[in-house]
Amino acid sequence: MNIARNLWTAVVVTTISTVALDLPAQTTESVLRGPDDHPDLNGTWFNGDGVTHVRPLRKENFLCIRGCEAETPGPPRLTPDRPSYKTEFLSIVSNLDNRQVEEDPALRCFPPGVPRIGPPDKIVQISDQIIFLYNDITGSHFRIVPTDGRTHRTDIGPSYLGDAIGHWEGDTLVVETTNFNEDTWLTDDGSFHTSDLRVIEHLSRESDSLHYQATAFDPAVLAEPWKLRPRVATLIARELIPAPPCIEQDINHIIDGTHHDNTR
Amino acid sequence: MRVQIGLRIYAWIGAIFLTTTSSICAHHSVLGQFDPENRVMLSGVISKIDWINPHIYMHVDVEDESGETTTWRLESVPPAYLYKAEVTQEMLMGGGVPVRIEALRARDETQYLGFVIRIYYPEGHHYQLSVDY
Repeated sequence: MNIARNLWTAVVVTTISTVALDLPAQTTESVLRGPDDHPDLNGTWFNGDGVTHVRPLRKENFLCIRGCEAETPGPPRLTPDRPSYKTEFLSIVSNLDNRQVEEDPALRCFPPGVPRIGPPDKIVQISDQIIFLYNDITGSHFRIVPTDGRTHRTDIGPSYLGDAIGHWEGDTLVVETTNFNEDTWLTDDGSFHTSDLRVIEHLSRESDSLHYQATAFDPAVLAEPWKLRPRVATLIARELIPAPPCIEQDINHIIDGTHHDNTR
Repeated sequence: MRVQIGLRIYAWIGAIFLTTTSSICAHHSVLGQFDPENRVMLSGVISKIDWINPHIYMHVDVEDESGETTTWRLESVPPAYLYKAEVTQEMLMGGGVPVRIEALRARDETQYLGFVIRIYYPEGHHYQLSVDY
């Protein structure tokens, strides 16, 4: 399996390096635009559905959904993307991580928060607002991002997905989200945050690719702003479907507190 | 030509990110809940499937030698796994005919609770839904 994995990596790296020297910047003229002349972000954007590690194997009279990955090699998984905490909070993070099964809100079907929820699965763009739709393992979620220059709302309380406002910087949509509750984690390893969390997301379109980058700011606890690894989603014709309801039934039966990997 | 090459590169880069940045999956800690040393082979009818996150549950009606039927609840994978494999509820249920299911029993000794490893259908095909622990 390692040989196959290494070969796959080698092919990708070789392919990129072979032609990277001739890589032109995609001209903004090629970006599909809406009536307001901003890039058109409408559509369903496939980002792997969180199941890139699932590589079904089909043989005569046999379908293997999990457990046959040795015969369907794929790329290696990257190391988890984690924020850095100030020294005085490391023990809290470690403690929460050790008790993840009891403490991680996402394992109990609560909305995962931002940026843990990742890039939107569908974007609906109208003149003065952009709507992000998500089919998440915790359920269906939405975020409304006004782009008409308004400031953050002051008439609502903190929430799992916060209050978002957006603006355009050139062809990049910049979304600032604040007013989070403290009931989400940044990742699956005890990475708590305060209600002062602020998240900036950058979304830009190149051809049929959506480039997504998020940075989390929580200076009271983070050692530095946490800039997540960039993500790329691909425009697909498939319509987004609602997520099946999330009804947790397992945790009370888990007897040894084994970590649930829930990286995003 | 340059744009085409550029797009191809971005597609590759996109493929890398798509295939290496794991996101929404909740990998259930199966071994924390189910015992690979305590397996059971059930013969019964899948009478219902709870198509829910984070994991689906199958209800399997198992008839014992005395003719009494007991319904097992068997946990399995997240719906997203099945979407990717293009497996539907109907396919899993097998048309209501008796199937054989290899499963792990719950560690906390909850009766009639298990985790599906494989399902064998009478026509001869079978599905493997989990790593064989």
